[in-house]
Amino acid sequence: MIDLRAMKASFKQQSIHFFVDPQWVIPSIIAPFIFTTVTLFLFRHAGGDLLLYAVLGGGVLGMWGNTIHSSSWSIGYDRMNGTLEAIMVTPAPLSSVVFGRCLWNSFLGLLNALAVFIVAEFAFGIDVTVQDPLGFVVAMMATLLSLSVLGMVFGAFYVVTRASSAFFQILEFPIYVLSGAVFPLMNLPDWSRPFSYVIPATWGAEALKISTVAGHDSMGLGYYGALGLTGLTTVAFLLISLWLFTYLEGRAKVNGTLVRY
Amino acid sequence: MNGGETVIVVRDLTKVYPAAARLFGDGGREKLAVDHVSFDVRRGEIFGLLGPNGAGKTTTIKMLTTLLIPTSGSASVLGLDAVRDPVKLRPRINLVSGGERGLYFRLTGRQNLEFFSDMYRVPRESKKAKIQYLLDLVGLTEAADVRVEEYSRGMKQRLHLARGLVNDPEVLFLDEPTLGLDPEISRETRALIRRLSEEGMTIMLTTHYMFEADELCDRLAIISEGVIKAMGSPYSMKESVRNDSIIEIEARELGEAQRKELSDLPGVSAVSIQFLEARQLARIVVDDAPALIPTVAALLENRKVISIRVDQPTLEDAYIKLVNGK
Repeated sequence: MIDLRAMKASFKQQSIHFFVDPQWVIPSIIAPFIFTTVTLFLFRHAGGDLLLYAVLGGGVLGMWGNTIHSSSWSIGYDRMNGTLEAIMVTPAPLSSVVFGRCLWNSFLGLLNALAVFIVAEFAFGIDVTVQDPLGFVVAMMATLLSLSVLGMVFGAFYVVTRASSAFFQILEFPIYVLSGAVFPLMNLPDWSRPFSYVIPATWGAEALKISTVAGHDSMGLGYYGALGLTGLTTVAFLLISLWLFTYLEGRAKVNGTLVRY
Repeated sequence: MNGGETVIVVRDLTKVYPAAARLFGDGGREKLAVDHVSFDVRRGEIFGLLGPNGAGKTTTIKMLTTLLIPTSGSASVLGLDAVRDPVKLRPRINLVSGGERGLYFRLTGRQNLEFFSDMYRVPRESKKAKIQYLLDLVGLTEAADVRVEEYSRGMKQRLHLARGLVNDPEVLFLDEPTLGLDPEISRETRALIRRLSEEGMTIMLTTHYMFEADELCDRLAIISEGVIKAMGSPYSMKESVRNDSIIEIEARELGEAQRKELSDLPGVSAVSIQFLEARQLARIVVDDAPALIPTVAALLENRKVISIRVDQPTLEDAYIKLVNGK
């Protein structure tokens, strides 16, 4: 079940936390921004599509960085505060609370991505002319949503154990690479393809590239094909996350691990 | 309160915490926290679970509030099964825990209440007024827009109580509501709990403070090592030690060894030792105090005894006898 009011309240709560707690500026804004700037600097002489890949990849990285750091930490924060039980005793589904927070975090990433495009255009002089502005916005929103849902999957594991952070922190770079956001998928080894294909961001990034770069369609899917696969994998991860929340909440209630931090 | 509708029914409730799974090292053993506990609570009653730390009080309350799944037995609140009907039950109950944690410290008191009001789907049109009413009720109106991290311990506890009331619960569970509060704030908190009870709310609380149970509860259950040792009104508990008497000893060198030696004496029901700054206060529940004083004095002759006197039993002595008695 999805509770829109709980989602809205947790979106607002997360935004307040962001503005009153300066530490979140580092993983949410500064770290992805620096990483992208370095990438742009390295690719500045590459020219053409490769440079545009770096810009788009930086945008996706910004959103993904927020998701992995903030969304997966969402429940960890409640464990630390002792508020996890206070939430779980309410009628609101925990998954809706976490999803609202993930949406805020990805929204922040969106702002980060916009900042990357502005820096690319004005500081590095990269032409980021978008071929299909409407398609680009839709693809961006779909990618944003898919990353939020992926954040929910990670967030669910925090319900059952406080030790999840160590595992998920190391996933930041592999997903960045596997999604093909910066490096074209064809440059990656064959064995890694299946991992790439199940990540919604892979298809979101492809849709973004198709809408931005004239003539780009490396997978032969077309814009709607890439967008459709983004939606399909996002729905799949949404269902997985809802199941995970139910299953892991049940386990935590048997083991009595909700209050441990 | 007698004769009211039964709103909490607990039968043979048992909770065993499984051994923790660990990648490295021993995860420990499974732990029996609550062992076949049964009791009923009637509408409008203040029912207390009284026991030492680790007795199973909090585990019991968490099973009733849908936060833990029992290993066996059943628990129903307002006619709803706590395991099978959590979605229907949660809007009608609330839980307030004692202690510093359980609030969003970076948010203001008002923002905390707004967030939890949304979690309980408090009607939007009445949300603002409801929050203001609760802030007034717990005396936090002036601090409503101050971040919780700047609140004192007592202010946080009052905000906890306000949070527990956002959904007008029919049954309010309070887990150690005055834990760590200074006497003045504790008194105010107890007055508020009494007021809520007078307005018809059913309250179940856990405490390890004897006077709190005595002052607040219509009925209480004494729980130790997961087992209910006794149940009844505070008056009936006190009556259970009416025929006993107390030898109270003040000394400077009493410890666990002396407590055990005293407990083993014939005619002694229970012994408690309170450790004060530079001395100890032992209370010994006995059948016949005058007859036993010479034996006790002889046993403790090298323990720097300051005074020995005979006293009347209190609820605390009844509790000690039930929890630690032979």
